[in-house]
Amino acid sequence: MRIAVLSGKGGTGKTTIATNLAANKKNSILIDTDVEEPNSHIFMKPNIEENIAVKVNYPVVDTDKCTLCGKCGTFCRYNAILPAKNNVLVFEEICHDCGGCELVCPTGAISYKQREIGKIHCGKTKYDINMKYGDLNVGEVSGVRIIEKLKDMTKNEEVVFIDSPPGTSCATVAAIEDIDFAVIVTEPTPFGVSDMKMVVEMLRRMNIKFGVVINKAGLGDDEIYDYCKSENIDILEEIPFDEKIAKLYASGDLLSYEIESYKEKIMTILSKIA
Amino acid sequence: MKINEIVVISGKGGTGKTTLVASLVPFLGKTVIADCDVDAPDLNILFGNTVKAEDEFIGLQRADLNKDICTNCGLCYEKCKFNAITKDIEISKSKCEGCGVCEFICPVNAITMKDSVVGKVFISDTKYGEMVHARLIPGEETSGKLVTEVRKRSKELANDKNINNIIIDGSPGIACNVIASITGVSKAVIVVEPTLSGLHDLEKVYKLADKFNLKIYVVINKYDLSKEQAEKIEEYCEKENLEIALKIPFNRKMVEAITKKEIPSLYEKDFFEKIGFNEFVQKLIK
Amino acid sequence: MKIAVCAKNEGLKSEVDNRFGRAENYVIYDTEEGNAVTIENSAKNEPSGAGGSATRLLSENKVEVVLAPELGPKAVDAIRAFGIEAYRFNDVKTVEDAINKYKDGSLEKFITSTTNSKHGLHRA
Repeated sequence: MRIAVLSGKGGTGKTTIATNLAANKKNSILIDTDVEEPNSHIFMKPNIEENIAVKVNYPVVDTDKCTLCGKCGTFCRYNAILPAKNNVLVFEEICHDCGGCELVCPTGAISYKQREIGKIHCGKTKYDINMKYGDLNVGEVSGVRIIEKLKDMTKNEEVVFIDSPPGTSCATVAAIEDIDFAVIVTEPTPFGVSDMKMVVEMLRRMNIKFGVVINKAGLGDDEIYDYCKSENIDILEEIPFDEKIAKLYASGDLLSYEIESYKEKIMTILSKIA
Repeated sequence: MKINEIVVISGKGGTGKTTLVASLVPFLGKTVIADCDVDAPDLNILFGNTVKAEDEFIGLQRADLNKDICTNCGLCYEKCKFNAITKDIEISKSKCEGCGVCEFICPVNAITMKDSVVGKVFISDTKYGEMVHARLIPGEETSGKLVTEVRKRSKELANDKNINNIIIDGSPGIACNVIASITGVSKAVIVVEPTLSGLHDLEKVYKLADKFNLKIYVVINKYDLSKEQAEKIEEYCEKENLEIALKIPFNRKMVEAITKKEIPSLYEKDFFEKIGFNEFVQKLIK
Repeated sequence: MKIAVCAKNEGLKSEVDNRFGRAENYVIYDTEEGNAVTIENSAKNEPSGAGGSATRLLSENKVEVVLAPELGPKAVDAIRAFGIEAYRFNDVKTVEDAINKYKDGSLEKFITSTTNSKHGLHRA
């Protein structure tokens, strides 16, 4: 069973829900696919046992074989390889690693080398479950390869909780592909509603079942409830706005381990989804 | 004339980036507003929905298969590095990065690369100036390119109408859409919350912003929610020689303003005055 | 010798464009013939690496000197690799102004060094 926790915008409490769910489900594993700004580990405090470099290919050109015919440059839609006057320039950070330049090169002058775009850290958490989190290097344009690797590494696990990237872009799609259920975390503000609508649209397009957790309940207005009702969306649980939660979050503690009533709420969500 | 482009970013979302941008707008004088948070474009909620122009945005070309010609030889499946073609030769649009390898390799020319719409770009009128915003079709990629398009249109508007300032609501994170939000701006404001993860995110996004030649200001939002973490952020900023230009205490009225679709800095005028908002604005438009 | 200037429109009277790789057009001025032609920048809508692609286009048009307001690091590398010289203009309105300033020798040269060990760049 693969359950992703996602949100249209950041800061709604996605990581809070994902970490608390995982910490209360024995034998589950948590993967943090928000590789641009991974935060789950701050709460789960894993003892890191393994660091895996995630690498992508980039082309290198053998000058002895290269005739500067220019075919690679014409083919590459990302302009990552540029045949110039006396040599061929490679801009590795914009290379998508499609393999096209090697295919079109008539003299076999192109081969590939690898470079690291980020890491995956794996370890056992304070809460007796395992976790893995990806961390994209600063300056890299896309973490999708890291997300795919995280998914691939956990494909045989029984229960996987996925802390997804916020929003609805390609990184989120990579994180939620092939999942069984999605938990949308939102807040009852106009921003929360607007952003959640985009997530709902995406999930429906991908045919993924989902439910909603309303976080910071009581802070905004009722628009979110009206929206869920009119769209027939299941509200799994509400977590009230509570300064105690904000303080626990600030110091990196899990609310379900600190406050009994919140543990019950997490268990309720778990009973509905897993 | 060099246009003063100010981008507001944050490592993670939900720190109050959009709230801050909205609050700044009425105080900037003549300005163009650019919402580059194309995944979660929320500024138009506060500025009203008065779209006067919209265009489809073609982000890339993608593979299009003509099943009538396809012989199911499987070469494209074999060569596609993005898993965008299945074994039984179906193209998954969302995974296609438009490299063109399948088109090249297909022995019977069954695949052609065709323009693919990934979102929409809008221009709206607001009380405070024109706003360029966009919406990525949920699940689409190339948000970086869409951000670049929003920036380009904002600059055109500013140039045409002799407007000095562009205020940009940037994207969260550190990848392509953020890089596209920051490239070429004059000033960046990083909004951070006083939490453990907030500091962690600040460090990462600062590392990115520091690669560009610009003036960086830090704003600590809800700074009194955790004095301890706020202090840690201040220590970090001091160490990195980063200017903390504004500290905003937690105020329920801010959420109330958003809920009423009001601009927080106008809704809570006295509060903003007290925290030194005007001085902060002066730094940005200087 | 052919000089290319980033331009928003066509001809010598065109306003200059403040981008290089994503400039609308290039006005190419031939110093021997004393005439100018305008070519559309086919790279302006490229998903990435417009600077490199635009440089290739200019090289194909036998351009030896480029006048631009700003150049990104990739564009600088590309221009150098094609053996083109680049000069920076600012505070000019039209293509003609930029060319006149170049002729006066009052424009600053972009590329002064031929060595480049910028991180992340792999040479053939």
